[in-house]
Amino acid sequence: MDYGEQSDVQQVHAAVQREKREPRVGAEPLSIWLIAVYGLAIFFGGAYLGRYSGNFTSGGLDPMGSPPAPKKAVAGGPAGGEQAELSPRDRGKKIFAANCQTCHQANGLGVPGQYPPLAGSEFTIGGSRRPAMIVLKGLQGPVTVKGQQYGTAVMQPWDKTLTDQKIADVLTYERSEWGNNATPVTAEQIAALRKELASRAESFTEHDILAVPDEELPGAPAPAAGAAPKPGEAAKPPAPPKP
Amino acid sequence: MNTTEIPLKDPAVSAAAGDTEQLERAYIDASTRVPVLMFYTSAIAWLIVGTVLAMLVSFKLHSPDLLGDISFLTWGRLRPAHMNVMVYGWASMAGMGTAVWLMARLCRTTLRFPLLLVAGGAFWNLGVLIGVGAILLGDSTGFQWLEFPRYVAVILFVAYTLMASWAVLMFRHRRGQQIYITQWYLLGAFLWFPWLYAAGQLMLFVVPVQGVLQSAVTWWYANNLLFLWFGAIALGTAYYMIPKVIGRPVYSYHLATIGFWTYALFSSWTGMTRLVDGPFPAWMITASIAATILTMIPVATVGLNHHLTMQGYFPLLRYSPTLRFTVFGAMSYTIFSVIGVLISLRSVASYVDFTEVSVAYSHLGLYAFFTMTIFGSMYYIVPRLVGREWRYGSLIKLHFWASAYGIGLMTLMLLAGGFLQGANLENPTLPFSESIETVLPYLRGRSVAGILMTVANFIFAYHFGLMLLGLGRTSTVPTFLNPVEAETSGGH
Amino acid sequence: MKGLTPLFLGIFGTFAFSWIGLTVIPTWQIGHLNPESDEEGTDIYPRPQSGMFERGEHVYAANGCVYCHSQQVRADYIADDIERKWGNRRSAPRDYIFDRPVFLGNMRMGQDLANIGARAPAQEESPSPAGAASPAAQGAAVSSPPPSQATSPASSPAAAPVASPGTSPASAASPNASAPPGQRTGVASPSPGQMANATPGGSSPAAPSAQTPGAPWPIQTAGLPPMYSAAWHHVHLYAPRSINPDSNMPSYRFLYEKRRIGGQRSAEALQLSSSDAPPEGWEVVPTYDAKCVVAYLMGLNQSHPLKEVRSVGGAPPTGTAPAPAAPGASPAPATGGSPAAPK
Repeated sequence: MDYGEQSDVQQVHAAVQREKREPRVGAEPLSIWLIAVYGLAIFFGGAYLGRYSGNFTSGGLDPMGSPPAPKKAVAGGPAGGEQAELSPRDRGKKIFAANCQTCHQANGLGVPGQYPPLAGSEFTIGGSRRPAMIVLKGLQGPVTVKGQQYGTAVMQPWDKTLTDQKIADVLTYERSEWGNNATPVTAEQIAALRKELASRAESFTEHDILAVPDEELPGAPAPAAGAAPKPGEAAKPPAPPKP
Repeated sequence: MNTTEIPLKDPAVSAAAGDTEQLERAYIDASTRVPVLMFYTSAIAWLIVGTVLAMLVSFKLHSPDLLGDISFLTWGRLRPAHMNVMVYGWASMAGMGTAVWLMARLCRTTLRFPLLLVAGGAFWNLGVLIGVGAILLGDSTGFQWLEFPRYVAVILFVAYTLMASWAVLMFRHRRGQQIYITQWYLLGAFLWFPWLYAAGQLMLFVVPVQGVLQSAVTWWYANNLLFLWFGAIALGTAYYMIPKVIGRPVYSYHLATIGFWTYALFSSWTGMTRLVDGPFPAWMITASIAATILTMIPVATVGLNHHLTMQGYFPLLRYSPTLRFTVFGAMSYTIFSVIGVLISLRSVASYVDFTEVSVAYSHLGLYAFFTMTIFGSMYYIVPRLVGREWRYGSLIKLHFWASAYGIGLMTLMLLAGGFLQGANLENPTLPFSESIETVLPYLRGRSVAGILMTVANFIFAYHFGLMLLGLGRTSTVPTFLNPVEAETSGGH
Repeated sequence: MKGLTPLFLGIFGTFAFSWIGLTVIPTWQIGHLNPESDEEGTDIYPRPQSGMFERGEHVYAANGCVYCHSQQVRADYIADDIERKWGNRRSAPRDYIFDRPVFLGNMRMGQDLANIGARAPAQEESPSPAGAASPAAQGAAVSSPPPSQATSPASSPAAAPVASPGTSPASAASPNASAPPGQRTGVASPSPGQMANATPGGSSPAAPSAQTPGAPWPIQTAGLPPMYSAAWHHVHLYAPRSINPDSNMPSYRFLYEKRRIGGQRSAEALQLSSSDAPPEGWEVVPTYDAKCVVAYLMGLNQSHPLKEVRSVGGAPPTGTAPAPAAPGASPAPATGGSPAAPK
């Protein structure tokens, strides 16, 4: 390879030699036809923009401002939309599905290593104080449930997102589902606990929870027919009131 | 037009002035030799890699069990790998190589400290290599055209700073009063790319936007990359090569000015046309469609400018490889833009959305327009860097026709297949699988086209390799595509 | 142009104009959306997903699913996505506020997946160890039917087994558990989640949409899990052509493990047909990544109504009596005692 070793630049760069001048620009005027093309383009572009912009609003998903009349008749609205009276357990089930299911799973089994189960969990079916504390303020750090360790996920506090009634309902649901058989929880109990914990800002650790006695919250509802199961017992015949 | 009437030299230039100019150009070329050749070599290596990936992608789409079950060869990873190799490996490096040479020539400055450019190129190659590896091994970000992981973006930024600051510096030290058209486009490109890339990375990874805006930013980035980086380099190159080869000035300064500014203004708004009818406020989508309609202004302007410049010189297309590839690219720009307008109008878009038509559009822009123009520039520039002429005119011819037929067939297949696919999708009485059945034969046709393009690219790589090894022709006469009858040769 | 300044200003200005217009202004407009919720705060939509769903998003991105599958439903006056039962309303920006990355997609070599989780059968069929859906397992309630289903016992024709999930022994090894344990993570919205299968759960899982024209994939091969169930997704990912011989979807076998059956056949084992099934004594189980991506798919659900978008009240594409899927109604069977959604 002899890239330009020779001293005679002109001899090597024959290509350069025969080159034409560097490009220049002429100054021909614009043709009138071209201006007509510009006008057309601006007209159509502008018209399109004006017509189909859905009023330039953020919610205007429809180009013409509002969706045109539906092609097919919309099926009749909800049959009555009856507000059937829901039991606390049913309400709790909805709340669970909306908020807890992603981690604890619909079958209450959690995910090994990550999200502890609620089915048969000593925290869920024991006294109502501990699970209520966990739901209100959240839990951080490793925790051992049913002999398994769970440590990677953090449970958020729900005191700001859920009302007392909702927390009570979801606990009632959890404590009577998947073979669990523990006492229901009322909104009053949660309200009282909320007051107790009002000064606490951060979530609990397992240590904090275990430091607290495994008892029912004061004000437990009177048990229905059949003895209320003692904390930890899951085998008794179902006691919680059914709808 | 009789070939003997093609002027060799502009008669207005005196011999003395001509010599100085030639010497100047020779020195400039010598100074750009190492970095530009290095960029071209990297680019062609990536072209080959990307072509192999493209063949795999194309074949696996209609023969899904080909090399199946291997995680790093799964279609969903090969496809972004192919795209990123072509966009950031081949196209960006080749574009930068040409742009550096053009800037040096037009600014009439030699390139000082070329090794910094080489270092930049090496970093860029490293970034692309790591990025493609990451995609194949499962670390893609999931954003189209921005699949490289974040750590690769950092490498690319460092590399780009090394490369582009030099080009802009050359511009700073330019000699001469006028800033030529090509320099506008190239300066624009060198500034737009880092802003674009930075904006994309910022809004998607550093301070991520919410929800569907991620898609909006992604396609804003992708279309702007196509137009403001690749398109600008290609148009700038065409504005140099066409008047240079035929020895006539560009037709009109006014057309060039209007063309440049309207191009910058309107092309940059077209991103949302890839998301027509999506979950966005309607005005965003309509603005993009309106902008696409308005890009007819720069398309008409630039097209007219080139056409009137070329008027009377079309016979030269028979001889000059540079001219042929460049004019093909410039014409493809017009076709690509017109198709772009047609497919983004809402009434058409509802048929062609989600079909192969958008693939056809991307390839028209990146291959038919950008790549062919850059091929033309490489055919011009490489002899000036290695001091040899291209060895085989027949290989150049083969390269051209295989490329032209390849991209032409591919576009046809994908447009036709895509339209039929869309028509089937819009017919709810047909099961979804019908639309796939319909498009499969066209995908096979696309693979055939892909074979043509693979042949073309391999031929070009081989030919370039020969030049790199100093095996080109030693001659004062350039390599023409067809033998010139008269003994006074026109052209290069 | 003679001056550098006007050139530079113009270059900068045109770029800034497009950047502000197409990214900054839309961020002002739709970049800070909040989920919609009802007065009580329970029915928040959409909800941020976590856990397996999030990881599934990464697996989806890494394997390039977005290059063939879109996740956006177009309005009914624009296109026929809704008629194809890919959604009961068009997608809106609010549907995606918690997605990262967003997979709107712009290709449909495969179906739109925006509501693939909603098209899942209401009740998970348990893959019995024999690999074929046994009649006993057909109506068996497994771990995660949508809540509304279980609270309407009277209306379900699938007799006794439609009980709360609690009655099935909730152990992962039980054959009554749904295939991969975490499969129903990320069901974004509770009651309205079942767009396609709002019917009482016991309806035959075989081709819920086979009879409906325009419905996706009308092929329900015997012996396969019910269409769009988690188990079905696993089979589809492992061997797409066992479900549709003309499919050109790549097979993702590298997301699965073939191993010897140790003791009892795993509940997670895929139900594969003869040509793809592993030899005697072996089973194919999903890796964690596969489970995550299926959890992700099962969580893709945009059927929850939004105030800003009109829902098309269409009958779900099941063979049984259509439940009103109109906005605001939980698609539970419209019988007394069902919890009508308090919207």
